[in-house]
Amino acid sequence: MNKLKLFFTISLLVFLNSCALFQKDYVQFDEALNCPEQTTANLLAAQNQLGYLSKTETLACALTALRKTEDVTLRRSALASRLCLHLAERETDQNKREKFADEGVGFAEAALKSGGTGDGEVHYYLAANLGLEVREHITLAINNLARLENELKQAVELSPDLDDSGPLRVLGMLYLKAPAWPNGIGDRDKALDLLVRAVNNHPKHPLNHLFYAQALWDDEGSEATLSRVKAEFAIGEKLLTEGNWGYNQEVWKKEFDEFAKEFGQSESLDK
Amino acid sequence: MRKTYLIVTSLLASLTANAAPNPEMILVCYPGGAVNAKDANAAMSSMLRVVERIGQWQENSFTSLFTAKADECKKQIADKHPKFAITSLGLYLELRSQHNLVPVVQPKIKGQSSERYRVIVQKDKYKNLDQLKGKAVGGTVLEEPSFISKIVLAGKYDLAGFNLKPSNQAIRALRSLDKGELDAVILNEQQFNGLASLQMSKPLEAIFTSEQIPLMGVVANSTTTTTEERLRFGQALEGMCADSEGKKLCDLFGVEAFASVDTAVFEPMIKLWTDGK
Repeated sequence: MNKLKLFFTISLLVFLNSCALFQKDYVQFDEALNCPEQTTANLLAAQNQLGYLSKTETLACALTALRKTEDVTLRRSALASRLCLHLAERETDQNKREKFADEGVGFAEAALKSGGTGDGEVHYYLAANLGLEVREHITLAINNLARLENELKQAVELSPDLDDSGPLRVLGMLYLKAPAWPNGIGDRDKALDLLVRAVNNHPKHPLNHLFYAQALWDDEGSEATLSRVKAEFAIGEKLLTEGNWGYNQEVWKKEFDEFAKEFGQSESLDK
Repeated sequence: MRKTYLIVTSLLASLTANAAPNPEMILVCYPGGAVNAKDANAAMSSMLRVVERIGQWQENSFTSLFTAKADECKKQIADKHPKFAITSLGLYLELRSQHNLVPVVQPKIKGQSSERYRVIVQKDKYKNLDQLKGKAVGGTVLEEPSFISKIVLAGKYDLAGFNLKPSNQAIRALRSLDKGELDAVILNEQQFNGLASLQMSKPLEAIFTSEQIPLMGVVANSTTTTTEERLRFGQALEGMCADSEGKKLCDLFGVEAFASVDTAVFEPMIKLWTDGK
Protein backbone atom coordinates (compact mmCIF):
# COMPACT_ATOMS: atom_id res chain seq x y z
CA MET A 1 0.00 0.00 0.00
CA ASN A 2 2.77 2.34 0.95
CA LYS A 3 4.52 1.57 -2.32
CA LEU A 4 1.34 2.28 -4.21
CA LYS A 5 0.93 5.56 -2.40
CA LEU A 6 4.54 6.50 -3.10
CA PHE A 7 4.12 5.61 -6.77
CA PHE A 8 0.98 7.70 -6.96
CA THR A 9 2.68 10.67 -5.29
CA ILE A 10 5.67 10.50 -7.59
CA SER A 11 3.44 10.17 -10.64
CA LEU A 12 1.45 13.19 -9.55
CA LEU A 13 4.59 15.25 -9.05
CA VAL A 14 5.93 14.25 -12.45
CA PHE A 15 2.63 15.09 -14.04
CA LEU A 16 2.40 18.47 -12.31
CA ASN A 17 5.97 19.23 -13.21
CA SER A 18 5.37 18.40 -16.86
CA CYS A 19 2.28 20.60 -16.81
CA ALA A 20 4.33 23.45 -15.43
CA LEU A 21 6.90 23.02 -18.16
CA PHE A 22 4.20 22.88 -20.80
CA GLN A 23 2.61 26.07 -19.48
CA LYS A 24 5.93 27.89 -19.68
CA ASP A 25 6.06 27.10 -23.39
CA TYR A 26 9.52 28.52 -23.87
CA VAL A 27 11.04 28.95 -27.28
CA GLN A 28 13.12 25.85 -27.82
CA PHE A 29 16.54 26.25 -29.35
CA ASP A 30 17.99 24.14 -32.12
CA GLU A 31 19.30 20.88 -30.69
CA ALA A 32 22.33 21.25 -32.92
CA LEU A 33 23.31 24.30 -30.93
CA ASN A 34 26.77 23.46 -29.76
CA CYS A 35 26.92 25.24 -26.44
CA PRO A 36 30.05 25.25 -24.31
CA GLU A 37 29.59 24.15 -20.75
CA GLN A 38 28.35 27.11 -18.78
CA THR A 39 29.07 27.56 -15.12
CA THR A 40 27.76 30.17 -12.78
CA ALA A 41 31.21 31.72 -12.72
CA ASN A 42 31.35 31.80 -16.56
CA LEU A 43 27.99 33.47 -16.81
CA LEU A 44 28.72 36.01 -14.12
CA ALA A 45 32.04 36.85 -15.72
CA ALA A 46 30.57 37.16 -19.21
CA GLN A 47 27.33 38.95 -18.38
CA ASN A 48 28.54 42.40 -19.38
CA GLN A 49 29.72 41.11 -22.75
CA LEU A 50 26.33 39.62 -23.61
CA GLY A 51 24.53 42.28 -25.58
CA TYR A 52 23.59 43.66 -28.95
CA LEU A 53 26.97 42.73 -30.41
CA SER A 54 26.72 39.08 -29.31
CA LYS A 55 25.86 36.33 -31.75
CA THR A 56 22.38 34.92 -31.37
CA GLU A 57 23.82 31.45 -30.65
CA THR A 58 25.85 32.88 -27.80
CA LEU A 59 22.77 34.43 -26.24
CA ALA A 60 20.80 31.22 -26.76
CA CYS A 61 23.45 29.15 -25.00
CA ALA A 62 23.60 31.56 -22.08
CA LEU A 63 19.83 31.55 -21.76
CA THR A 64 19.71 27.77 -21.90
CA ALA A 65 22.07 27.67 -18.95
CA LEU A 66 20.14 30.33 -17.09
CA ARG A 67 16.90 28.40 -17.47
CA LYS A 68 18.46 25.64 -15.40
CA THR A 69 20.45 27.61 -12.88
CA GLU A 70 19.58 27.65 -9.22
CA ASP A 71 22.28 30.20 -8.44
CA VAL A 72 20.77 32.90 -6.28
CA THR A 73 22.98 35.69 -7.58
CA LEU A 74 22.05 34.94 -11.17
CA ARG A 75 18.37 34.49 -10.42
CA ARG A 76 18.28 37.81 -8.59
CA SER A 77 19.99 39.62 -11.45
CA ALA A 78 18.50 41.06 -14.65
CA LEU A 79 20.76 38.97 -16.87
CA ALA A 80 18.24 36.34 -18.00
CA SER A 81 15.57 38.98 -18.57
CA ARG A 82 18.03 41.06 -20.60
CA LEU A 83 19.01 38.08 -22.75
CA CYS A 84 15.35 37.32 -23.41
CA LEU A 85 14.88 40.88 -24.56
CA HIS A 86 17.85 40.70 -26.93
CA LEU A 87 16.57 37.45 -28.38
CA ALA A 88 13.03 38.78 -28.65
CA GLU A 89 14.22 41.85 -30.47
CA ARG A 90 16.02 39.75 -33.04
CA GLU A 91 13.11 37.43 -33.58
CA THR A 92 11.03 38.13 -36.67
CA ASP A 93 8.28 35.63 -35.82
CA GLN A 94 5.75 37.45 -33.61
CA ASN A 95 4.75 34.37 -31.66
CA LYS A 96 8.32 33.48 -30.76
CA ARG A 97 9.13 37.11 -30.04
CA GLU A 98 6.30 37.33 -27.55
CA LYS A 99 7.35 34.06 -25.94
CA PHE A 100 10.87 35.36 -25.39
CA ALA A 101 9.46 38.59 -23.99
CA ASP A 102 7.06 36.69 -21.74
CA GLU A 103 9.93 34.60 -20.46
CA GLY A 104 11.89 37.79 -19.84
CA VAL A 105 9.03 39.18 -17.77
CA GLY A 106 8.95 35.94 -15.80
CA PHE A 107 12.68 36.06 -15.10
CA ALA A 108 12.44 39.67 -13.94
CA GLU A 109 9.49 38.90 -11.70
CA ALA A 110 11.41 36.00 -10.22
CA ALA A 111 14.39 38.29 -9.69
CA LEU A 112 12.20 40.75 -7.82
CA LYS A 113 10.88 37.96 -5.64
CA SER A 114 14.43 36.82 -4.97
CA GLY A 115 15.41 40.18 -3.59
CA GLY A 116 16.19 42.17 -6.75
CA THR A 117 13.79 45.02 -5.99
CA GLY A 118 16.64 47.45 -5.46
CA ASP A 119 18.13 46.70 -8.86
CA GLY A 120 17.02 49.23 -11.48
CA GLU A 121 18.11 46.91 -14.25
CA VAL A 122 15.53 44.31 -13.19
CA HIS A 123 12.73 46.89 -13.31
CA TYR A 124 13.96 48.19 -16.65
CA TYR A 125 14.09 44.81 -18.36
CA LEU A 126 10.80 43.80 -16.84
CA ALA A 127 9.19 46.84 -18.44
CA ALA A 128 11.07 46.39 -21.70
CA ASN A 129 10.00 42.77 -22.07
CA LEU A 130 6.45 43.52 -20.97
CA GLY A 131 6.20 46.31 -23.51
CA LEU A 132 7.49 44.07 -26.24
CA GLU A 133 5.08 41.32 -25.28
CA VAL A 134 1.98 43.51 -25.43
CA ARG A 135 2.89 45.96 -28.15
CA GLU A 136 0.84 44.27 -30.87
CA HIS A 137 -2.20 43.96 -28.62
CA ILE A 138 -3.58 47.41 -28.04
CA THR A 139 -5.99 46.69 -25.22
CA LEU A 140 -3.46 44.52 -23.43
CA ALA A 141 -0.96 47.35 -23.83
CA ILE A 142 -3.39 49.86 -22.39
CA ASN A 143 -4.13 47.55 -19.46
CA ASN A 144 -0.42 47.39 -18.68
CA LEU A 145 0.35 51.11 -18.93
CA ALA A 146 0.30 51.67 -15.18
CA ARG A 147 2.60 48.73 -14.56
CA LEU A 148 4.98 49.85 -17.29
CA GLU A 149 5.06 53.34 -15.81
CA ASN A 150 5.65 52.01 -12.31
CA GLU A 151 8.53 49.73 -13.33
CA LEU A 152 10.16 52.41 -15.46
CA LYS A 153 9.85 55.04 -12.75
CA GLN A 154 11.69 52.71 -10.41
CA ALA A 155 14.33 52.10 -13.08
CA VAL A 156 14.74 55.87 -13.54
CA GLU A 157 15.06 56.29 -9.80
CA LEU A 158 17.55 53.46 -9.32
CA SER A 159 19.56 53.36 -12.56
CA PRO A 160 18.96 56.38 -14.78
CA ASP A 161 22.18 55.83 -16.74
CA LEU A 162 21.55 52.21 -17.58
CA ASP A 163 21.62 51.50 -21.33
CA ASP A 164 22.68 55.09 -22.05
CA SER A 165 19.64 56.58 -20.32
CA GLY A 166 17.39 53.69 -21.35
CA PRO A 167 14.94 54.17 -18.45
CA LEU A 168 14.62 57.90 -19.20
CA ARG A 169 14.27 57.24 -22.91
CA VAL A 170 11.64 54.53 -22.62
CA LEU A 171 9.62 56.24 -19.90
CA GLY A 172 9.77 59.42 -21.98
CA MET A 173 8.30 57.61 -24.95
CA LEU A 174 5.69 55.99 -22.76
CA TYR A 175 4.49 59.43 -21.71
CA LEU A 176 4.63 60.62 -25.29
CA LYS A 177 2.62 57.77 -26.77
CA ALA A 178 0.18 56.83 -24.02
CA PRO A 179 -3.33 58.31 -24.09
CA ALA A 180 -3.16 61.79 -22.62
CA TRP A 181 -4.82 63.18 -19.51
CA PRO A 182 -7.62 62.88 -18.53
CA ASN A 183 -7.96 59.47 -20.20
CA GLY A 184 -4.45 58.18 -19.58
CA ILE A 185 -0.94 58.75 -18.29
CA GLY A 186 0.28 60.45 -21.48
CA ASP A 187 1.99 63.75 -20.73
CA ARG A 188 4.15 65.59 -23.24
CA ASP A 189 5.71 67.85 -20.64
CA LYS A 190 6.99 64.83 -18.74
CA ALA A 191 8.07 63.20 -22.01
CA LEU A 192 10.08 66.22 -23.07
CA ASP A 193 11.64 66.56 -19.64
CA LEU A 194 12.82 62.94 -19.61
CA LEU A 195 14.00 62.93 -23.21
CA VAL A 196 15.99 66.12 -22.93
CA ARG A 197 17.67 64.61 -19.87
CA ALA A 198 18.45 61.48 -21.88
CA VAL A 199 20.02 63.56 -24.64
CA ASN A 200 22.04 65.65 -22.21
CA ASN A 201 23.22 62.73 -20.10
CA HIS A 202 24.04 60.39 -22.98
CA PRO A 203 24.42 62.41 -26.15
CA LYS A 204 26.13 59.60 -28.05
CA HIS A 205 23.12 57.32 -28.17
CA PRO A 206 21.23 57.74 -31.48
CA LEU A 207 17.82 56.89 -30.06
CA ASN A 208 18.01 59.60 -27.44
CA HIS A 209 18.13 62.13 -30.27
CA LEU A 210 15.49 60.39 -32.38
CA PHE A 211 13.05 60.20 -29.49
CA TYR A 212 13.69 63.78 -28.48
CA ALA A 213 13.07 64.81 -32.09
CA GLN A 214 9.80 62.86 -32.07
CA ALA A 215 8.70 64.49 -28.83
CA LEU A 216 9.49 67.95 -30.16
CA TRP A 217 7.70 67.20 -33.39
CA ASP A 218 4.61 65.91 -31.59
CA ASP A 219 4.54 69.04 -29.51
CA GLU A 220 2.96 72.33 -30.47
CA GLY A 221 5.64 73.29 -32.94
CA SER A 222 6.98 76.67 -33.91
CA GLU A 223 9.49 77.22 -36.72
CA ALA A 224 12.27 77.16 -34.15
CA THR A 225 11.02 73.84 -32.84
CA LEU A 226 10.93 72.37 -36.33
CA SER A 227 14.53 73.29 -36.96
CA ARG A 228 15.41 71.68 -33.61
CA VAL A 229 13.60 68.51 -34.69
CA LYS A 230 15.68 68.40 -37.86
CA ALA A 231 18.87 69.03 -35.94
CA GLU A 232 18.23 66.30 -33.38
CA PHE A 233 17.26 63.87 -36.11
CA ALA A 234 20.45 64.62 -38.02
CA ILE A 235 22.62 64.11 -34.93
CA GLY A 236 20.96 60.80 -34.17
CA GLU A 237 21.23 59.57 -37.75
CA LYS A 238 24.91 60.43 -37.87
CA LEU A 239 25.56 58.59 -34.62
CA LEU A 240 23.72 55.56 -35.93
CA THR A 241 25.57 55.53 -39.22
CA GLU A 242 29.01 56.02 -37.72
CA GLY A 243 28.65 53.80 -34.66
CA ASN A 244 28.85 50.04 -34.23
CA TRP A 245 25.39 49.13 -32.99
CA GLY A 246 25.47 45.47 -33.95
CA TYR A 247 22.09 43.84 -34.29
CA ASN A 248 20.44 47.16 -33.36
CA GLN A 249 21.64 48.94 -36.47
CA GLU A 250 19.10 47.64 -38.94
CA VAL A 251 16.00 48.09 -36.80
CA TRP A 252 17.00 51.53 -35.59
CA LYS A 253 17.63 52.54 -39.18
CA LYS A 254 14.06 51.57 -40.01
CA GLU A 255 12.81 53.72 -37.15
CA PHE A 256 14.78 56.69 -38.38
CA ASP A 257 13.45 56.12 -41.90
CA GLU A 258 9.87 55.84 -40.70
CA PHE A 259 10.09 59.05 -38.73
CA ALA A 260 11.77 60.80 -41.66
CA LYS A 261 8.92 59.69 -43.88
CA GLU A 262 6.27 60.80 -41.40
CA PHE A 263 7.99 64.08 -40.79
CA GLY A 264 8.55 64.67 -44.50
CA GLN A 265 4.93 63.95 -45.33
CA SER A 266 3.73 66.34 -42.69
CA GLU A 267 6.04 69.08 -43.90
CA SER A 268 4.81 68.73 -47.45
CA LEU A 269 1.21 68.86 -46.20
CA ASP A 270 1.91 72.12 -44.45
CA LYS A 271 3.31 73.77 -47.56
CA MET B 1 18.48 48.12 -26.67
CA ARG B 2 17.60 47.15 -30.15
CA LYS B 3 13.89 47.56 -30.11
CA THR B 4 13.34 48.80 -26.62
CA TYR B 5 12.06 52.05 -28.03
CA LEU B 6 9.49 50.19 -30.11
CA ILE B 7 7.95 48.91 -26.95
CA VAL B 8 6.27 52.15 -26.27
CA THR B 9 6.22 53.73 -29.68
CA SER B 10 4.14 50.78 -30.75
CA LEU B 11 1.73 50.70 -27.84
CA LEU B 12 -0.91 51.80 -30.20
CA ALA B 13 0.49 49.76 -33.04
CA SER B 14 -1.73 49.01 -35.97
CA LEU B 15 -3.22 45.57 -36.04
CA THR B 16 -3.02 45.41 -39.78
CA ALA B 17 -4.31 42.55 -41.82
CA ASN B 18 -5.25 42.02 -45.42
CA ALA B 19 -7.25 44.95 -46.69
CA ALA B 20 -10.65 44.56 -48.29
CA PRO B 21 -10.64 45.64 -51.96
CA ASN B 22 -12.12 49.13 -51.45
CA PRO B 23 -12.29 49.97 -47.78
CA GLU B 24 -14.71 52.72 -46.84
CA MET B 25 -12.89 55.62 -45.26
CA ILE B 26 -14.15 56.89 -41.91
CA LEU B 27 -12.97 60.41 -41.28
CA VAL B 28 -12.08 61.05 -37.65
CA CYS B 29 -11.86 64.69 -36.62
CA TYR B 30 -10.69 65.44 -33.10
CA PRO B 31 -9.98 69.16 -33.03
CA GLY B 32 -7.42 70.02 -30.38
CA GLY B 33 -6.67 66.39 -29.65
CA ALA B 34 -3.27 65.58 -28.18
CA VAL B 35 -2.59 62.55 -30.33
CA ASN B 36 -0.77 62.19 -33.60
CA ALA B 37 -2.43 60.78 -36.67
CA LYS B 38 -0.34 57.62 -36.80
CA ASP B 39 -1.21 56.57 -33.25
CA ALA B 40 -4.84 57.60 -33.58
CA ASN B 41 -5.31 55.66 -36.80
CA ALA B 42 -3.84 52.61 -35.12
CA ALA B 43 -6.35 52.86 -32.27
CA MET B 44 -9.15 53.52 -34.75
CA SER B 45 -8.07 50.49 -36.73
CA SER B 46 -8.66 48.31 -33.68
CA MET B 47 -12.05 49.90 -33.14
CA LEU B 48 -13.10 49.40 -36.74
CA ARG B 49 -12.15 45.72 -36.64
CA VAL B 50 -14.59 45.30 -33.75
CA VAL B 51 -17.29 47.28 -35.56
CA GLU B 52 -16.81 45.14 -38.67
CA ARG B 53 -17.12 41.98 -36.65
CA ILE B 54 -20.26 43.10 -34.83
CA GLY B 55 -21.83 44.50 -37.99
CA GLN B 56 -20.77 41.41 -39.97
CA TRP B 57 -18.80 43.28 -42.57
CA GLN B 58 -15.77 41.70 -44.14
CA GLU B 59 -12.63 42.45 -42.13
CA ASN B 60 -10.95 45.67 -43.25
CA SER B 61 -14.08 46.95 -44.94
CA PHE B 62 -13.34 50.27 -43.23
CA THR B 63 -10.27 52.36 -42.83
CA SER B 64 -9.78 55.59 -40.91
CA LEU B 65 -8.26 58.96 -41.57
CA PHE B 66 -7.53 60.97 -38.45
CA THR B 67 -6.89 64.65 -37.99
CA ALA B 68 -6.69 66.91 -34.94
CA LYS B 69 -6.97 70.04 -37.10
CA ALA B 70 -10.40 71.49 -37.82
CA ASP B 71 -9.28 72.97 -41.16
CA GLU B 72 -7.82 69.67 -42.28
CA CYS B 73 -11.09 67.97 -41.37
CA LYS B 74 -13.08 70.38 -43.53
CA LYS B 75 -10.70 69.81 -46.42
CA GLN B 76 -10.95 66.03 -46.14
CA ILE B 77 -14.74 66.08 -46.03
CA ALA B 78 -14.81 68.32 -49.10
CA ASP B 79 -12.23 66.26 -51.02
CA LYS B 80 -13.07 62.70 -50.03
CA HIS B 81 -16.79 62.83 -49.28
CA PRO B 82 -16.71 60.13 -46.58
CA LYS B 83 -19.95 58.31 -45.93
CA PHE B 84 -19.32 58.37 -42.18
CA ALA B 85 -17.30 60.62 -39.94
CA ILE B 86 -16.55 61.04 -36.27
CA THR B 87 -16.62 64.76 -35.62
CA SER B 88 -16.91 67.33 -32.92
CA LEU B 89 -20.24 69.07 -32.45
CA GLY B 90 -18.73 72.28 -33.80
CA LEU B 91 -17.67 70.66 -37.05
CA TYR B 92 -21.03 68.97 -37.44
CA LEU B 93 -22.83 72.27 -36.99
CA GLU B 94 -20.55 74.03 -39.42
CA LEU B 95 -20.61 71.35 -42.12
CA ARG B 96 -24.02 69.75 -41.77
CA SER B 97 -25.81 71.74 -44.48
CA GLN B 98 -23.01 71.74 -47.00
CA HIS B 99 -22.33 68.00 -46.70
CA ASN B 100 -25.78 66.73 -45.68
CA LEU B 101 -24.56 65.40 -42.37
CA VAL B 102 -26.92 63.62 -40.00
CA PRO B 103 -26.04 62.30 -36.53
CA VAL B 104 -26.00 58.49 -36.23
CA VAL B 105 -24.88 57.70 -32.68
CA GLN B 106 -23.85 59.65 -29.61
CA PRO B 107 -21.37 58.51 -26.99
CA LYS B 108 -22.46 58.11 -23.39
CA ILE B 109 -20.04 59.16 -20.70
CA LYS B 110 -20.97 58.58 -17.09
CA GLY B 111 -24.52 57.91 -18.16
CA GLN B 112 -24.83 61.22 -19.97
CA SER B 113 -25.04 62.05 -23.66
CA SER B 114 -24.45 65.71 -22.98
CA GLU B 115 -21.85 67.75 -21.20
CA ARG B 116 -21.13 71.17 -19.79
CA TYR B 117 -18.11 73.32 -20.48
CA ARG B 118 -16.52 75.36 -17.76
CA VAL B 119 -14.22 78.33 -17.53
CA ILE B 120 -11.71 77.67 -14.76
CA VAL B 121 -9.60 80.24 -12.92
CA GLN B 122 -7.44 80.38 -9.83
CA LYS B 123 -9.80 80.63 -6.88
CA ASP B 124 -10.92 84.17 -6.07
CA LYS B 125 -8.82 85.71 -8.84
CA TYR B 126 -11.74 86.48 -11.16
CA LYS B 127 -15.44 86.41 -10.48
CA ASN B 128 -16.96 86.33 -13.97
CA LEU B 129 -16.21 86.36 -17.67
CA ASP B 130 -16.40 90.13 -17.89
CA GLN B 131 -13.34 90.33 -15.65
CA LEU B 132 -11.46 88.13 -18.10
CA LYS B 133 -11.68 90.65 -20.95
CA GLY B 134 -8.20 91.09 -22.40
CA LYS B 135 -6.86 88.22 -20.29
CA ALA B 136 -5.10 85.06 -21.47
CA VAL B 137 -7.54 82.17 -21.88
CA GLY B 138 -6.33 78.71 -22.88
CA GLY B 139 -7.65 75.24 -23.56
CA THR B 140 -7.85 72.53 -26.16
CA VAL B 141 -11.40 73.48 -27.04
CA LEU B 142 -10.16 76.78 -28.48
CA GLU B 143 -9.22 74.87 -31.64
CA GLU B 144 -12.87 75.61 -32.49
CA PRO B 145 -13.45 79.24 -31.47
CA SER B 146 -16.79 79.56 -33.29
CA PHE B 147 -18.14 76.61 -31.33
CA ILE B 148 -17.03 78.17 -28.05
CA SER B 149 -18.45 81.52 -28.98
CA LYS B 150 -21.79 80.40 -30.43
CA ILE B 151 -22.57 77.27 -28.42
CA VAL B 152 -20.59 77.22 -25.17
CA LEU B 153 -20.94 80.92 -24.49
CA ALA B 154 -24.29 80.95 -26.33
CA GLY B 155 -23.33 84.07 -28.27
CA LYS B 156 -23.31 86.18 -25.10
CA TYR B 157 -19.62 86.97 -25.05
CA ASP B 158 -17.37 88.09 -27.87
CA LEU B 159 -14.26 85.89 -27.96
CA ALA B 160 -12.38 88.71 -29.62
CA GLY B 161 -12.33 90.33 -26.21
CA PHE B 162 -10.13 87.59 -24.79
CA ASN B 163 -6.49 86.85 -25.49
CA LEU B 164 -6.94 83.29 -26.75
CA LYS B 165 -4.16 80.74 -26.28
CA PRO B 166 -5.24 77.47 -27.92
CA SER B 167 -3.39 74.36 -26.85
CA ASN B 168 -3.50 70.70 -27.80
CA GLN B 169 -2.78 69.65 -24.23
CA ALA B 170 -5.27 70.38 -21.51
CA ILE B 171 -2.84 69.40 -18.78
CA ARG B 172 -0.26 71.89 -20.03
CA ALA B 173 -2.86 74.65 -20.13
CA LEU B 174 -3.81 73.83 -16.54
CA ARG B 175 -0.19 73.92 -15.43
CA SER B 176 0.10 77.34 -17.07
CA LEU B 177 -3.01 78.41 -15.18
CA ASP B 178 -1.47 77.16 -11.96
CA LYS B 179 1.70 79.16 -12.63
CA GLY B 180 -0.28 82.26 -13.51
CA GLU B 181 0.83 82.22 -17.16
CA LEU B 182 -2.81 81.85 -18.17
CA ASP B 183 -5.71 83.59 -16.48
CA ALA B 184 -8.33 81.01 -17.38
CA VAL B 185 -8.77 77.66 -19.10
CA ILE B 186 -11.90 76.35 -20.79
CA LEU B 187 -12.52 72.67 -20.08
CA ASN B 188 -14.97 70.14 -21.37
CA GLU B 189 -16.73 67.78 -18.97
CA GLN B 190 -14.15 64.98 -19.14
CA GLN B 191 -11.33 67.40 -18.49
CA PHE B 192 -13.19 69.06 -15.65
CA ASN B 193 -13.89 65.70 -14.02
CA GLY B 194 -10.20 64.85 -14.32
CA LEU B 195 -9.11 67.89 -12.28
CA ALA B 196 -9.26 65.93 -9.05
CA SER B 197 -6.44 63.69 -10.27
CA LEU B 198 -4.06 66.63 -10.69
CA GLN B 199 -1.94 68.19 -8.03
CA MET B 200 -2.09 71.94 -8.43
CA SER B 201 -0.43 74.35 -6.08
CA LYS B 202 -3.38 76.74 -6.12
CA PRO B 203 -7.07 75.89 -5.80
CA LEU B 204 -9.16 76.35 -8.91
CA GLU B 205 -12.79 77.21 -9.44
CA ALA B 206 -15.27 77.50 -12.26
CA ILE B 207 -16.58 81.00 -12.94
CA PHE B 208 -18.71 79.96 -15.87
CA THR B 209 -20.65 76.77 -16.58
CA SER B 210 -22.39 76.27 -19.89
CA GLU B 211 -25.81 74.85 -20.49
CA GLN B 212 -26.00 71.14 -21.30
CA ILE B 213 -24.50 70.54 -24.74
CA PRO B 214 -25.06 67.23 -26.55
CA LEU B 215 -22.04 65.05 -27.14
CA MET B 216 -21.31 64.40 -30.77
CA GLY B 217 -20.38 60.99 -32.09
CA VAL B 218 -20.74 59.60 -35.57
CA VAL B 219 -22.36 61.44 -38.44
CA ALA B 220 -23.26 60.21 -41.92
CA ASN B 221 -23.71 61.89 -45.25
CA SER B 222 -27.42 61.41 -45.83
CA THR B 223 -27.13 61.57 -49.62
CA THR B 224 -24.38 58.97 -50.04
CA THR B 225 -25.64 56.53 -47.41
CA THR B 226 -28.93 54.68 -47.25
CA THR B 227 -31.09 54.46 -44.16
CA GLU B 228 -30.13 50.78 -43.91
CA GLU B 229 -26.41 51.58 -44.01
CA ARG B 230 -26.76 54.18 -41.29
CA LEU B 231 -28.82 51.81 -39.18
CA ARG B 232 -26.35 48.96 -39.61
CA PHE B 233 -23.35 51.13 -38.79
CA GLY B 234 -25.13 52.67 -35.82
CA GLN B 235 -26.19 49.31 -34.43
CA ALA B 236 -22.67 47.95 -34.77
CA LEU B 237 -21.39 50.90 -32.75
CA GLU B 238 -24.13 50.48 -30.18
CA GLY B 239 -22.93 46.92 -29.67
CA MET B 240 -19.31 47.87 -29.40
CA CYS B 241 -19.01 48.67 -25.72
CA ALA B 242 -20.88 45.47 -24.80
CA ASP B 243 -18.38 43.40 -26.75
CA SER B 244 -15.49 42.06 -24.65
CA GLU B 245 -12.78 43.45 -26.95
CA GLY B 246 -14.79 46.54 -27.83
CA LYS B 247 -15.30 47.40 -24.17
CA LYS B 248 -11.56 47.78 -23.68
CA LEU B 249 -11.47 50.22 -26.57
CA CYS B 250 -14.46 52.10 -25.20
CA ASP B 251 -12.59 52.37 -21.90
CA LEU B 252 -9.60 53.69 -23.81
CA PHE B 253 -11.76 56.41 -25.35
CA GLY B 254 -13.44 57.12 -22.02
CA VAL B 255 -16.83 56.12 -23.42
CA GLU B 256 -19.20 53.70 -21.71
CA ALA B 257 -21.61 53.23 -24.61
CA PHE B 258 -22.79 54.53 -27.95
CA ALA B 259 -26.49 55.21 -28.24
CA SER B 260 -28.80 55.99 -31.14
CA VAL B 261 -29.50 59.64 -31.66
CA ASP B 262 -32.58 61.66 -30.93
CA THR B 263 -32.06 64.40 -33.50
CA ALA B 264 -34.25 66.76 -31.48
CA VAL B 265 -31.42 67.28 -29.00
CA PHE B 266 -29.41 68.98 -31.72
CA GLU B 267 -32.14 71.42 -32.75
CA PRO B 268 -31.33 74.04 -30.07
CA MET B 269 -27.65 73.77 -31.05
CA ILE B 270 -28.47 74.31 -34.71
CA LYS B 271 -30.50 77.35 -33.78
CA LEU B 272 -27.73 78.78 -31.62
CA TRP B 273 -25.25 78.17 -34.41
CA THR B 274 -27.43 79.72 -37.06
CA ASP B 275 -28.39 82.72 -34.96
CA GLY B 276 -25.07 83.06 -33.24
CA LYS B 277 -22.29 85.53 -33.72
